[in-house]
Amino acid sequence: MEAKDPNKGYIAVLGWSLRCIDALEKFDRRYLIVAPDWAAEYAEQHDIPFISWDFERLNDRSYELATKLKEMGVDVAIPLFEETVEWAGAVNSVLLDNPRLLGQSMLFRDKSLMKRRAQLGGIRVGIFEEAMDHSDVIRFLKRVNQTLLKLDGDPNDPIHFKAFDKAGCLGHRVIRTPDDVAAIADEEFPALLESHLDGWEFAVEAWIKDRKIQFLNISEYVSLGYSVFVPATPELEKWRPRIEQQIEKLIEVFDIDFGFIHPEYFVTNDGTMYFGEVAYRPPGFNVFELLERAYGFNAYQALVLAFDPKATQEELDAFFPEPVKDAMGHAGCFGVYPRRRVVSDLSIPPETENDPYFEFHELSPPHEQKVTKRTAFGTHWGLVYFFGEDPHRLRDLLKAQEDLDYYV
Amino acid sequence: MAMTSQDNPIEPFLRSFDHVSRQLAEASAAGKFSYQGRVLDSAKRLMKQPGGLAALEARAAELDRAGIFSGTDWAVPAGLVPRLVGNTLASSDSRMVVLECLNLLRFLAVVRGEHSQPGLPLEHARHFLTQVLALNLDRILGAAHEAARVNAGELDPVVDQLLQRLLEAVGPEGILGRLVDEVWRILRQRPLQVEHVKSMILQIAIALDEGQNGLSASETRLGADRLISALFGPTDLCREDPGLEVYRQRLESADTGSLQAEATGMARAMHDTGLVSDYHAEFLRFILDSAHTHLLPAALGLSSTGLDSLRCYQPLVQQLIDEAVRPGTAQSVLGIALMLERGILYSPPIAPSLWRLLGTALTPACEEILSIAFGGQVTARQRLVAGVMMLLGQPLGIGQGNNPTCQAARALSMWALNDPDYLLWLLAQVTSKDCIVMHFEGQPLDSSLLQAGLAQQAPLDADPVSVLLVPHLDRVYAEMGRRVAGRGEDPHRWINPELHGWWVGRAFHIAVDVATGLLKDHEAFIREFHTAYHPLHNGNEPVIHPQPAGIAVTDSSGAFVGWHAISIIRVALDQSGGMRVYFFNPNNDSGQDWGHGIVVSTHGNGERLGEASLPFDQFASRLYIFHDDGLPAAMTLPVEDAQVARICEMAQQSWASNRF
Repeated sequence: MEAKDPNKGYIAVLGWSLRCIDALEKFDRRYLIVAPDWAAEYAEQHDIPFISWDFERLNDRSYELATKLKEMGVDVAIPLFEETVEWAGAVNSVLLDNPRLLGQSMLFRDKSLMKRRAQLGGIRVGIFEEAMDHSDVIRFLKRVNQTLLKLDGDPNDPIHFKAFDKAGCLGHRVIRTPDDVAAIADEEFPALLESHLDGWEFAVEAWIKDRKIQFLNISEYVSLGYSVFVPATPELEKWRPRIEQQIEKLIEVFDIDFGFIHPEYFVTNDGTMYFGEVAYRPPGFNVFELLERAYGFNAYQALVLAFDPKATQEELDAFFPEPVKDAMGHAGCFGVYPRRRVVSDLSIPPETENDPYFEFHELSPPHEQKVTKRTAFGTHWGLVYFFGEDPHRLRDLLKAQEDLDYYV
Repeated sequence: MAMTSQDNPIEPFLRSFDHVSRQLAEASAAGKFSYQGRVLDSAKRLMKQPGGLAALEARAAELDRAGIFSGTDWAVPAGLVPRLVGNTLASSDSRMVVLECLNLLRFLAVVRGEHSQPGLPLEHARHFLTQVLALNLDRILGAAHEAARVNAGELDPVVDQLLQRLLEAVGPEGILGRLVDEVWRILRQRPLQVEHVKSMILQIAIALDEGQNGLSASETRLGADRLISALFGPTDLCREDPGLEVYRQRLESADTGSLQAEATGMARAMHDTGLVSDYHAEFLRFILDSAHTHLLPAALGLSSTGLDSLRCYQPLVQQLIDEAVRPGTAQSVLGIALMLERGILYSPPIAPSLWRLLGTALTPACEEILSIAFGGQVTARQRLVAGVMMLLGQPLGIGQGNNPTCQAARALSMWALNDPDYLLWLLAQVTSKDCIVMHFEGQPLDSSLLQAGLAQQAPLDADPVSVLLVPHLDRVYAEMGRRVAGRGEDPHRWINPELHGWWVGRAFHIAVDVATGLLKDHEAFIREFHTAYHPLHNGNEPVIHPQPAGIAVTDSSGAFVGWHAISIIRVALDQSGGMRVYFFNPNNDSGQDWGHGIVVSTHGNGERLGEASLPFDQFASRLYIFHDDGLPAAMTLPVEDAQVARICEMAQQSWASNRF
């Protein structure tokens, strides 16, 4: 374990991630993991500083957590998962004596509030509406297609249906017909409805300190919900200056002093950027792992630097590489969904395994033989990792995985 | 962006492998295991490339240090068992196969002096690899049977390559020789279970037959021939392994002289090796069927003692042979012969107990478990009678298998040695009502009503008697432990005499404080052990009954491994005048290296079949529990202080290093 520097910040991490713990073990900041009970045994076995906390319980206990952490001398709390973002906001508003942080975290947690705030701040967003029940969805589908001057019988342009407060693609449906609407379960409401934007979807990871972008990464999606790689192709990277402007706008509109954001955008053919949504926590699809592979820096340690009020600008400058130029190659990963209805074995396709860009997988053998039918973009069964020099080859390789069977 | 040269085809595989293994190396203890899987996957890919194995070989030591084995069964290399490697290499889980390959490469690095591991001296590593090679000769020779070929996994060619690589590095010289020596070493302990020995002999036979890869070992040819012939052709009429049917025909047309020669030839091979050929079983059945019973003493190789036993109990013995001796249970012939030699049939309850056994109808549960363990080649009762013969003939041949039940195995061996009618009584209870009742401090303990003990299921890799009795004994033992749990002292003080019999000494001596685990009055303990057991200090009183004792087992580097149950059989001078303790270890192979020069001997120092031995002081240095009858010795001689100090020091340098 790296020696801890008592003059630097004392960090509380909200959520359990072995990768994050491993990074903190090797970093010079004192840390504390705040996570549910089930992790206590492992933490004790491995001498991980730990307090157990039930994040599912009502938020009115956040003051108790904040006081507890304050008494321990913790400087700042970092959320790891969507579910802990509000908790971190509440805790930090006490630790840093800044009540605004709690309100800010609520914005990040509610996709509808978030979009309105962006719109108010002059950021371009698609058409959106809240839906309370099925009839709202039907009406939105009709109005959008009416706006597009479609006639009865023309195929509809799709709309998107998203849960307010879920991370990434969880609960995300694409709706084209009233039949699709009927398939939505009652408990999925309320939800956010959005028009479909034809364009290039990508995500950004930005580490912010003192309202300044310290490092900005563009993650290119090959297919939404399937694969992503970093750094992006030169074709997407050429928009970097425009993207930086957009992020600066976000910082202003959302009043972000420090931390880490993970927004999603569409860029249309003419270069117009549409804001999709933003999260105040590490992205899914293990982009942190990909960044480490491509650049060699540990993104969790970067997270700590961005949150730690005691981190200096010199420290940050020394820590981050220069985007794109310093990358050793491109790292991508592919989320595997079984393609067959009945599966019994995990079997890495030979063309993948023998490809020099393939690195390793984190797939587990099937526990159940029957594959539940996918209605929304659900949870993948694990990730497959790739690394190589040529971003186009990597992109095509990731695309090709969609047609391969990993579970047979 | 830095570009890497793509000239070398394995370059990209190597690059990604080096990346993930660096991640593993740099991971904290808490994060280590989350990186192991990807390293194994990456290693698998690399292995399959030309030159990949060599690249891994060069990185083996580094990978070990990085922690690829931490938290796995491979974490302590000194404890690995060569016998298990073959199965792992054929596993359907490719990560297991890769891990085993990396493990072999690690041993290879040690052998080359490129790597060092605490507890894994070079000689041990070489011995391990030699054993692995010897046990997987069929793979090296490409003589794997059809089933293996049909199910060939994607890694099989790589594994074969790896074994070839090991063979080149360790050298073919002596592999066969060592294997032959190993077989003889094991057989001298006369184990009840010889299946693994037979498979090794089969490997030797195949290797000699193929005569390739520089494996023909003329210097060991003779030792190997004796083993092979003992199994596959012990006598003239079956020399070329003609099959049982042909052999029977030849016996039917053989003259008296030939039959006499067959009888003595069979007996000679059996007593020479401890192995019984199926032809031998067939021969016994033939002479019983054809009224040539006068050949029985010769066919069993009996001495005058055995012969007298046979004469006194001929109907019983013939009935036992008829029930127990068949192809597939041939080892029981040796058991019957040795049982007759022990003279135990003269003890009044034994013969009637055996008649009861012959008339037993086993419960369905007993039949089922025996057929799960041994298959249905013979009936459950035939299997059981064969097992009883083996155990009564070779009480010290029993082994615990791969089960945590040393206590039960030791108890069975003690009863077979000392209290055989009690053993037969326990067996009669199980075979008729699926339980045993023992008493603990006056309270009856019914095994069918007790919770499971140390073993979660019945041992299936043990002898027939163990298969039936161990689950019950284990439960009774555990229950006795529960009943004394609150007493603040080592439970064996009360359990040992109650479990085994009145003849276990009630005076109990223990070297450690149970609460703290620290040594307690160790010097006094050593002195008391001398006055209780050392003939030169206790008025030359021999060990009367086998006595349970507790050993702190250490590995070959002297590090503590665990507590283990053994029994002290006798203490006597060896042929060179040194005082030795002869003991029984229920572990399957007693020949163990306990570190710091303490190597348990099983042969050549006056041991009887199945006994292990150590010089008295070395034994005392690993002892932590013994029982004594509590009678004052006729005459005691004090033990020299220097001797006691020396023994205490030997303990403190090994298992007790952090206990004082």
